[in-house]
Amino acid sequence: MPDYDVIVIGAGNGGLTASASLAKRGAKVLLLERHNLPGGCATSFIRGRFEFEVALHQLSGLGTPEQPGPLRGLLGQLDVLDKIEFTEEDTLYRTIIPGEFEVTLKADRAEAIAALKEKFPDEAGAIDRFFDLVWEFCMQMVSIFYMRDPEASRDKYPTYCKYALKPSQEVLDGFFTSPLLKLALASYWGYVGLPPSRLTFMDLAMLLWVYIEFKPFHIKGGSQAMSNAILDAFIQAGGHPRFNCGAKKIIISDNRVRGVVTETGEEITCDYVVSNASIITTYVEMVGEEHIPDDKLRMLGSRSVGPSGFAVYCGLDCEPQDLGIDVSTQFICLNTDIERQFAAWRTFDTPEMCGMSCYDVADPDFSPPGACQVALINLQFADHWLTIPPAQYADAKYRYAREMISLVEKVYPGFSDALEEVEASTPVTHLRYLGHPGGGFYGFEKYAKDSNLFIAPTSGIDGLYFAGAWAGMAGFQPTLESGVSAAKAIYRKMNR
Amino acid sequence: MTKQNIRQQIDGYEDIQAEIAVLRKYAHDRRADKGTVDRVINALHPKELQLTVSEIIEETASSRTLRLISANGILPPFQAGQYINIFVNLAGIRSSRPYSIASSPAQTAYYDVTVRRVEDGFVSNYLLDEVKIGDTFTSTSPAGLFYYNPLFHGKDLVFLAGGSGITPFMSMIREVTDRGLARKITLIYGSRDADDIIFREELEDCAQRHDNFTFRPVISEPAPSYRGHTGFITADLMREVLGDIQNKMFYLCGPEEMYTFCLSELEKLGVPRKKIRQEVFGPPTNVTEEPGWPTEVRGDATFTVAIRGGASIPARADEPLMISLERAGITIPTSCRSGECSLCRTKLLSGEVFQPRGAKVRKSDRQFGYIHACMAYPLKDLEILL
Repeated sequence: MPDYDVIVIGAGNGGLTASASLAKRGAKVLLLERHNLPGGCATSFIRGRFEFEVALHQLSGLGTPEQPGPLRGLLGQLDVLDKIEFTEEDTLYRTIIPGEFEVTLKADRAEAIAALKEKFPDEAGAIDRFFDLVWEFCMQMVSIFYMRDPEASRDKYPTYCKYALKPSQEVLDGFFTSPLLKLALASYWGYVGLPPSRLTFMDLAMLLWVYIEFKPFHIKGGSQAMSNAILDAFIQAGGHPRFNCGAKKIIISDNRVRGVVTETGEEITCDYVVSNASIITTYVEMVGEEHIPDDKLRMLGSRSVGPSGFAVYCGLDCEPQDLGIDVSTQFICLNTDIERQFAAWRTFDTPEMCGMSCYDVADPDFSPPGACQVALINLQFADHWLTIPPAQYADAKYRYAREMISLVEKVYPGFSDALEEVEASTPVTHLRYLGHPGGGFYGFEKYAKDSNLFIAPTSGIDGLYFAGAWAGMAGFQPTLESGVSAAKAIYRKMNR
Repeated sequence: MTKQNIRQQIDGYEDIQAEIAVLRKYAHDRRADKGTVDRVINALHPKELQLTVSEIIEETASSRTLRLISANGILPPFQAGQYINIFVNLAGIRSSRPYSIASSPAQTAYYDVTVRRVEDGFVSNYLLDEVKIGDTFTSTSPAGLFYYNPLFHGKDLVFLAGGSGITPFMSMIREVTDRGLARKITLIYGSRDADDIIFREELEDCAQRHDNFTFRPVISEPAPSYRGHTGFITADLMREVLGDIQNKMFYLCGPEEMYTFCLSELEKLGVPRKKIRQEVFGPPTNVTEEPGWPTEVRGDATFTVAIRGGASIPARADEPLMISLERAGITIPTSCRSGECSLCRTKLLSGEVFQPRGAKVRKSDRQFGYIHACMAYPLKDLEILL
């Protein structure tokens, strides 16, 4: 008898839901986590009187109790819904070019369309047709993949087949002439980490559709509250978490998982492993080169590591409205050239875009009374950060953070004067906390070639499964779902 | 039709398959990346350091500086004001104490830590009396949040130091003067008597040579002959030394009682909260005097702490849980030992603890029963999950 049925490596979103689902189904599960707390990205940290949300901007797929989305179902099955309080946001985002343009899209199809038509009356007809396309496309996609239509075909789902892999830029160019309008509709590109030239229409359409249909949400107490709740469900179900204990090796013989060696050298046997570490780390560091299947090694080498990011966490000694901040999510851009903004992710050049989240707009309790917090985020690849000598790292971090703050200052004069706490994180910070190559919190790049449409999420090793952003799509909803999928696959095998 | 089939019917599917085929042909061998992540982390923030005492500098009758070099590699960079947590084995107990690095971050050939004698100082007395050149220690990497942040601290800084609380300021002052940075610093440094002023000569010398550094010692128990500021760091004294307090950032580091005193003086001056930065200072000297302590629990009451899947140990009400664990030979991760860094976050399965002011526990951690063992005092028998 092995020590455990399943060992889960890493307590990120995917590791947590995998552990909790397996434990709930009666499996004997050990959850190993290098850090002292669960969550991975889904965490928080305290500075002064602020508890900063690290990663969650807008939770997708939750829906309301009346119109539940897939994530509500998932959390319900893990018995954590009643342990988490959600805050609904009524706005998708505001897109701003300081001094030049702004438009606010409500999380409502008719209102979003109306706001766009008001700004772009000449393109009113195209706006209607675009939204029609997005809805038609997404309904077809839902039928194929969520309803699992057994008779799916090109004839039955022509819109899906025509548009799924088309670059968003091509579709937007086909509908619209105004670069501002295209910018406004493509503003979620940063949530995937690809510019419209490489962002498939499938990804852009799904983002707009999911956030409008199921609304954006946040969590009381931040994403750490959800991580704590899922861990709690895992413990209640008899699962064993072990913190401050990383996994060093996955023991494999005859191409089958036999157990895990911890960082302290302890050998623990098991039949299955779910790795919530990056797939690269899992194969190269834990499986070991002698056990990597040849085709998986080729596959690994053909895939690109996605971006990491640069975040500035700001604690302000004023209410959001004191500065005029009245929406939770904003995208501030200096121009409409997203390709150029994307190219700047590989340099220290002045950032030309930045996402800005103020959680206190929808949840006044998020920060202490009279205060609010704002997270600024611009994605960045890690490579140029890794060329900085350690002694100059702090200066580089401050320099970049200062530029991000200046960008916000253009829209909200007085922002800098209200700063009470500021902390910044770089791709190197994310690399250190997550252990992922390139600090990539989205996993592999989300270009279609690296998606599950083309790459089977199997490990090639019996008993080894993956969960998290490296195993599929990135973001909270997909990573939470990935853990449940891994758990289901294992559970099916265990009962065979 | 299967799902696989519909995928293949998507426009552009074959083009991407062709891209994948090319990329696989010229695949980068990921095995070459083995160890890269660890190398990056270790250059900036290794999990622990092995340190050797290379020099011992007597500072005052009650304090000395240990100059620490790396026993096995390089020392990582730090921000002036940060500390390392030094581990020691004393009387069979493995414990640790955080010490601010006093040396300039302009070089990392060595870190200086300056230790001052305190009453019943379990670790400090050992560092003062027993440690000799060549001794080695394990420590954490530099950490802590008490440092200059150029994003919002401005250029006009006031350091309020008491006793050994001078050490993080020493690093910040040395950084500014070593590097010729455009920041103005005024140091108001409280000591018991003139002989107690650590780094006095260097500070006076530095103030003479640098226009942007002002040094004002304040002596609480002066000899009759002493000329200079005496008493405590009061609002009046600060007004006299500083003049206008607008746009100044105040930093506070010293013994526990100094915080209460200086914070109320700063309030009298009308300094807003966001203009005050405070270093954390460890568990309170007497926790039973903290606001909120339940009077029905005596400080010397002893409870049993059961560790799930492990031993049961005794724990005094007036000692942080971390100390009781260390006495029982159980070491848990720790860095600040002041409730701030959250490394010692522990799940409380049953029982009740007292967590004094300053324990920075996340909202949802409170909801789900997590405590910071370095700043949690048992009020009942406990069961914990490590």
